[in-house]
Amino acid sequence: MKRKTAYLILAVTLLTTLVSPATAKGDGFNDAIKIIEQFYHVKHQNIPLLARAGMKAVRTAARMKGGDYKRLAEAGSVRVAFFEDQNFDSRGQIASFKASMQATLSEAWSPLVQTLAPKNEEQTYIYVRDAADKFHVLVVTIERHEATVVQATVAPEILAQLMKDPNEMGKALTEDATINDN
Amino acid sequence: MKNLFQTTWKLAPVLLLLVGSAITGRAQGPKLQIDQLDVLANKASETVDVKLDERLMQTTAKFFSGKDPDDAEIKEVLKGVKGIYVKRFEFEKEGEYSQADLESIRLQLRSPGWNRIVSVGSKKEISIEVYLMQNGDQIEGMAVLGTGARELTVVNIIGPVDLNRLSKLEGNFGVPPVGDAIREREKKK
Repeated sequence: MKRKTAYLILAVTLLTTLVSPATAKGDGFNDAIKIIEQFYHVKHQNIPLLARAGMKAVRTAARMKGGDYKRLAEAGSVRVAFFEDQNFDSRGQIASFKASMQATLSEAWSPLVQTLAPKNEEQTYIYVRDAADKFHVLVVTIERHEATVVQATVAPEILAQLMKDPNEMGKALTEDATINDN
Repeated sequence: MKNLFQTTWKLAPVLLLLVGSAITGRAQGPKLQIDQLDVLANKASETVDVKLDERLMQTTAKFFSGKDPDDAEIKEVLKGVKGIYVKRFEFEKEGEYSQADLESIRLQLRSPGWNRIVSVGSKKEISIEVYLMQNGDQIEGMAVLGTGARELTVVNIIGPVDLNRLSKLEGNFGVPPVGDAIREREKKK
């Protein structure tokens, strides 16, 4: 019995040692949410996929050259978190928020595009990381009273097209992630 | 002999500094350190920061379609390009940034290897300065400084850039129009 307990403790200790660093490092999506919550003192809402029905039905096809509407993100790869009806005030420290994002995400993600307009509290952050033969894209958009965090997997050919207009990339991916195509 | 030793000893820090600067300048390569400009974001009415590194450039460049003429040309221009970095700040009022803010960039552009090839503009409008880092005939990198009363843009392209085809990148990848300045220079030649 004592031996069994000892093995159990050893196994749990080993697992904790092996798993903890990865968990502590975070996954980008949750890290971004945490930074926003801490900096702006706001709280996010996770919207289930079905509840998104009736949201913006903007066709991003116009941004993709030619043809009919085409999904940007890989099916089932999208994670979305919303911050609605809350106050996003950088108090003149928008550069500090940008630095916090960078410090937290830079280990695993590469910053691609960041746009800031402090007067309207408008910010967009796009980070990219490898996902085997595809890419994970993390898009954070913040406005004065709402914010969205989107993580999606995109094929390299889609990323190549989006990269041509980095300023529009975040908008296109966020609209794609929140679109209802039922 | 003693005097010579003493003189050399006194000059040692200066010599070390000079040698160090030369080494740093060469070791730095065509990639400029521009993140120190980020503090300007607090004063700017709009900031755009684009970072396309080598891995991303090379992975996605091959996906530009050869069928689309625009894409085919972009694909050609991007051949060998190892990175595109852009920082652009727009300000509501004049005087929100100073030459001191730019000094860290200019200091890097004064290091060995960099040569200013274009400088156009006036005090009223935006001045464009184009710098190239060359190794013989080979272009290793390019930097563009666009400075105006209410605007500051820094573009840094790493790798062999074909100046004649640079205009194909304008409006893409966050690269602002710089071709006019280059064409101006060609006219003057």
